[in-house]
Amino acid sequence: MREADAPTWRVPPRWVLLVAVLSIVAAEIGGGSMARFKVELTRWARDGMLARPSVHGLVGVRDVDERILDEALVKFDAGLRLFHMHAEGMGLVIIATSMVAASVIRHVTARRAIIALLTTGGAGYPVGYLVWSALIPSYGLERAKTIAEWLVWVPFGTATIVALWCLAGLVAWSMIDRHRA
Amino acid sequence: MTGRRLVARTALAALALLSAPSSPASAHHVGAYVPKDNAVTTNFKEVKFSVQAKKYAVALRLFDTGPLRAEMRAHAATLPPGLEDNTRAALAAGDGPEVERRLMIFFAALARDLALEADRQLARPDAPAEARIATGKKFLEAIWRYYNLVDFAVATRDNKTSVAVRLAFDEAETYVKPAAGGAAPSDPAGLRPPLQRIARVLSTLIDASSTPPSSSTTPRRNS
Repeated sequence: MREADAPTWRVPPRWVLLVAVLSIVAAEIGGGSMARFKVELTRWARDGMLARPSVHGLVGVRDVDERILDEALVKFDAGLRLFHMHAEGMGLVIIATSMVAASVIRHVTARRAIIALLTTGGAGYPVGYLVWSALIPSYGLERAKTIAEWLVWVPFGTATIVALWCLAGLVAWSMIDRHRA
Repeated sequence: MTGRRLVARTALAALALLSAPSSPASAHHVGAYVPKDNAVTTNFKEVKFSVQAKKYAVALRLFDTGPLRAEMRAHAATLPPGLEDNTRAALAAGDGPEVERRLMIFFAALARDLALEADRQLARPDAPAEARIATGKKFLEAIWRYYNLVDFAVATRDNKTSVAVRLAFDEAETYVKPAAGGAAPSDPAGLRPPLQRIARVLSTLIDASSTPPSSSTTPRRNS
């Protein structure tokens, strides 16, 4: 086999792998804690909501309030579940995409920048779901969602998307360049 | 094909999939909420389906042990006298139409009480308009959740009442819909007349239905 035919996948930097593995570990701990402390978490969220009736629009009538509390608790639980799922998935995405970047991009600065964006974006984005869940009892569904969006989802999600597009562009460019040569 | 070229092509295909633009609706997916039945409506459905299947012993047991009966006791002050006992007696006697009529009265009373409470809360001038509209919307959802359970029974016995409640409900809903194109939110005071109408129509229905029909218990349409 000639050298040009040999597979050229390269391992991403160690800190990237560490962050990805930590993200997956956090996802597993989060998932396990969700199941283990389900009652305690629900009680904490419910007490937090009952302590702030005006934030959640509670009207003091059980037939009305139970639906509001139920929706908030369902979303609180959904936030924890989505953190678990996204942290698990994004850990793998970080490993895969940073490996592509390490293997394909030759320009050192571009490679480092894209790997940094992929890693921080990928690891940070799932935390938004945890932030959203944690803020629901204090700020209500919509306000908590807005805070999580602007604090976590938009910056970290944008970092990931920008890095992925740059990576796709650079991979395409290198293919075209090689085809011409 | 060289190894490097294979890597590049595989990577490009994967990246195209990963970075495909998603619609704004799917951005930051936060799950969907599907409202569930509460304990009372669940127990009502259990009793109703048992009665429809003519399993009166099952229906009676579900009624005796379920939250529906407890709720009837809790609301006894605003319900026609003897509603709980009469419902139980109808179940014990295996009188399906009578059970349906009693349960219709109960849920109509719950909906009426919610309409009255909504009207009372909307009358408070201290809350901002947006908060009062949000409160009105939540009350309308709760009213509909109960009324919808017995609308068919109401329409079967008194079609005019069913139509009147539905029309009043539709009118009330127009005041709680979000303002389009940055327009000013609706006046929450507009919500009060349809809520008052719902309460009045349901009160009339409860009063009229609380006396059992003398000739036959079979429901009939009046229009």
